[in-house]
Amino acid sequence: MLKISNLHASVEDKKILKGIDLRVNAGEVHAIMGPNGSGKSTLAQVLAGRDAYEVTEGTVEYLGRDLLEMDPEERAREGVFLAFQYPVEIPGVSNAYFLRSAVNAVRKHRGEPELDAIQFSKYIREKMKLLDLDPSQLNRSVNEGFSGGEKKRNEIFHMAVMEPKLCVLDETDSGLDIDALKIVADGVNALRGPDRAILVVTHYQRLLNYIVPDFVHVLVDGRIVKSGDRTLALELEEKGYGWLEAEAAAKA
Amino acid sequence: MALALESRTPFQKLYRLEAGTPWERLRRTAAEFFEAVGVPGTKNEEWRFTSLREFAEHEFTPAEPRDWDGRYGSADPIEVRDAIRLVVVDGVYRPDASSSDLPDGLIVGPWSETKDDPAWRRFGTIVQMDRHPFAALNTACFVEPILVRVAAGATMERPIHLAFVSQRSDAPRAIFPRVLVVVGENAEAKLLETHSGSGAYFTAPVSEVFVDESGRLEHTKVQQDSLDAFHIGHVRATQEAGSVYSSNGVSFGARLSRNDIDIWLGGEHTETWLNGAYMAFGEQLTDSHTRLDHAMPNCHSFQVYKGILGGAGAGVFNGKIYVHPDAQKTDAKQTNKALLLSPQATVNTKPQLEIFADDVKCTHGATVGQLEAESLFYLRSRGIGLAEAQAILTYAFLAEVLEKISLEAVRTALERVVFRQVARVEPMPEE
Repeated sequence: MLKISNLHASVEDKKILKGIDLRVNAGEVHAIMGPNGSGKSTLAQVLAGRDAYEVTEGTVEYLGRDLLEMDPEERAREGVFLAFQYPVEIPGVSNAYFLRSAVNAVRKHRGEPELDAIQFSKYIREKMKLLDLDPSQLNRSVNEGFSGGEKKRNEIFHMAVMEPKLCVLDETDSGLDIDALKIVADGVNALRGPDRAILVVTHYQRLLNYIVPDFVHVLVDGRIVKSGDRTLALELEEKGYGWLEAEAAAKA
Repeated sequence: MALALESRTPFQKLYRLEAGTPWERLRRTAAEFFEAVGVPGTKNEEWRFTSLREFAEHEFTPAEPRDWDGRYGSADPIEVRDAIRLVVVDGVYRPDASSSDLPDGLIVGPWSETKDDPAWRRFGTIVQMDRHPFAALNTACFVEPILVRVAAGATMERPIHLAFVSQRSDAPRAIFPRVLVVVGENAEAKLLETHSGSGAYFTAPVSEVFVDESGRLEHTKVQQDSLDAFHIGHVRATQEAGSVYSSNGVSFGARLSRNDIDIWLGGEHTETWLNGAYMAFGEQLTDSHTRLDHAMPNCHSFQVYKGILGGAGAGVFNGKIYVHPDAQKTDAKQTNKALLLSPQATVNTKPQLEIFADDVKCTHGATVGQLEAESLFYLRSRGIGLAEAQAILTYAFLAEVLEKISLEAVRTALERVVFRQVARVEPMPEE
């Protein structure tokens, strides 16, 4: 589904990604771990098309297409979803309005009829149950005045509504208490399936107790320095990132 | 009788100074005021950013009664369900298009039908012609004023809609809508003024508003005039003790528009809301001048004005707050925010607080900004196209003002204008 080859990216001439190679197949869950500043979030944002980052080298193929050629909205319509580390507050735009615009943009792209307010309401209520959300949240402005946990939950709710093919979760566990973490993880697990791939970007392995990955990759200084199965995440929890950073420094 | 003054302005032929009307003397004074000042130039501090040079080159002819095709001339006609409607076309009251079933406690109509009402004694006493040359011009030129009076203690469930329409004509016309609004003690009403039309014309509306003790008025003025029109309007309101006056100033039409709203807080414990939303796209210029006179103690005023400027559009905001020596315990808040959607768009914004009392709370803030890249990316990452994302965020920028406007039809019209101007699309229907 996703084929990243030798990906280099910079922000304001500062090199952040220095040659990422990664293959993700449908049905797989990959965790991208790494210390602060290793480029995890940059990778997530580059995949979603944030233009603050400049791709200087390498390719990203998504379902056989050149992902880097596509605008952010086209990526989303083709099934790429980024759950933001810091979801944006949009006062004055209700969650319901925002999501209906989003869903209808995708449906239009697929040549499907747009949903009116009543059809959409029916569709969305089922999704709300999944995340244990209060229906009143639909009428609240997007993320405005939400706690950190509510924002993250709202992101996974958006993900459930959009039904993407490739889900990228950027530090979804940060700022969550254990109850919120479980709800979010349950929401993500419910979306696991043979046609969907999930990329979990996280600093801590805590979330991976609930969203169990098939593969774990460690990003240090813009490169993947180690890949393994979920036991690698447990090893990192025990030993920290220091030994991998030292190894990477020695190689460089 | 010959005109005693020596006319310097091209508006002389619009004056209606004929003898024998109740306004003969008032009109003569008004004409003298206007002739003394003339069309203000940009050296006049009040008109520094709004040049009337091109406007003054036009010759306008007096409006006269014509057949009406029933159209408002706007792409977004505002129809308020259940409203008590009064329609004025080309400056002339149209009984055929106006409501005749008035609820108890409401008097609405042109002077000819309401002339015995005692409220008329306030006519011409609220507006300050020395300060507003175009209010003087209106006074010298109006055809027939309209009265809206809500009797003491009456609560109007239905909004009152005054629709001023200008029809297309070969020679640009000048119209001078004139309204007197009197809200009695403990009375409550919602008043909507819409100004719309097609083709080139000049409109200089004036509304005088008196809100008596503990009265409540929500007064919404929507300027949606033709993009070839000039709109120079003035509202002056006087509030008595304990009254609440909410002014919603919405301006998105006309090639050049100027709105002066002055409010005199003449009693204690009043509450005033000044909500404004103005937009200029293409070559439009829109200028909002507001003035609040805190003349008495214990009055609260809250002002939020939001401007959206795109294309080569220009916005001007000037917000004056005078706190008079007696006005202790005044609480006045003013915010003006402008959003620039293009590199050519401009805004000139000036808060102007003059405080002569010592125990007061006055704050003001002005910001000029653009849509945030982070927010745009967030919307686009959910599949929403760039243009639609810009429109959604632009509309959201107005939210703080819109939530204060109780008439849904006004909010919907604004939403449509934003989506059409920013994204060139119609907004997603609510239902």
